[in-house]
Amino acid sequence: MGFLEWLQGTWLGVLVAESLWGYPIFETIHTLGMAMMIGSLGLINLRVLGYKPELRLLDTRQLLPLAWIGFTLNAISGTALFTSDAVYFWDKYTFRIKMILIILGGINAALLGQRVFREAAAGAPALPTAASTKWIAFLSLVFWFGAVIAGRLIAYTP
Amino acid sequence: MDILVWLENTFIANAIRTIPWLYPTFETGHYIGLSLLVGGIMLIDLRVLGFARALPLKSMIGLLPFVWIGFLINVFTGSMLFIYGATNFGPNRAFQVKMAFMVLAGLNALAFDLAVRRSGSSWVAADRPPNFVKGVATLSLIFWICVVTTGRWMAYL
Repeated sequence: MGFLEWLQGTWLGVLVAESLWGYPIFETIHTLGMAMMIGSLGLINLRVLGYKPELRLLDTRQLLPLAWIGFTLNAISGTALFTSDAVYFWDKYTFRIKMILIILGGINAALLGQRVFREAAAGAPALPTAASTKWIAFLSLVFWFGAVIAGRLIAYTP
Repeated sequence: MDILVWLENTFIANAIRTIPWLYPTFETGHYIGLSLLVGGIMLIDLRVLGFARALPLKSMIGLLPFVWIGFLINVFTGSMLFIYGATNFGPNRAFQVKMAFMVLAGLNALAFDLAVRRSGSSWVAADRPPNFVKGVATLSLIFWICVVTTGRWMAYL
């Protein structure tokens, strides 16, 4: 038995696939977690790009807990959704693209955190001057919105 | 209902039926809009309730344009989606409850606006939202979470 088939047979996979409420509940959590992440990470990235300069860069760190909560909710709900139909989802290239975009988004976020928050904490001027840092912030937005779009298109992938 | 049948036979509905990428585009747009709307309103409501305190209240309230843009995107995309499947969505209980929650969210926002006109907004600069503002922020969170939830459940009813 392949790994994907095994996943589908686990209690979680079966629960979500066969119960009436499993899928809708996890899908709803997934959507809300998405809104939390886009909101919090979106604002941090926009601030790095220069939007709302009155916000102190280091202070935007306080948005990170919301991003983490959203990410955790989506990791859990995403796993639940995936296990219910693992073979089907893994077969879809849009799903795999979404996973790649999430990984890229995560790497980007870690990079940004290191540069931006460390720079700001060390007393860097109000706006990060490195163009490369702004590119990271811009790409971050592309990756996360891309993940949203790819996720939505899974259902339409032949 | 006659109007629902009429809507499903409009030029727009026919276009969505014949051009295969239109429905996915409108649906995806609806999710982008919801990310801006709900993501934005979460940040504002949570800030009013004391989350991420270091960020000035006035600045966070200044995120409202994103909320409005998300809302307008969703009014547009939502209308397109509805027109296409009017006879399905119209009688759908989840859809009706979703609309009810949107009305509640709108009334909540209106009540907030009226109250601010009465009592002023000096609490913004002072970062001391009165209890009624905290109440409005809490209701706002609840209503919009319910909108998202009932919207998702439309597919299952």
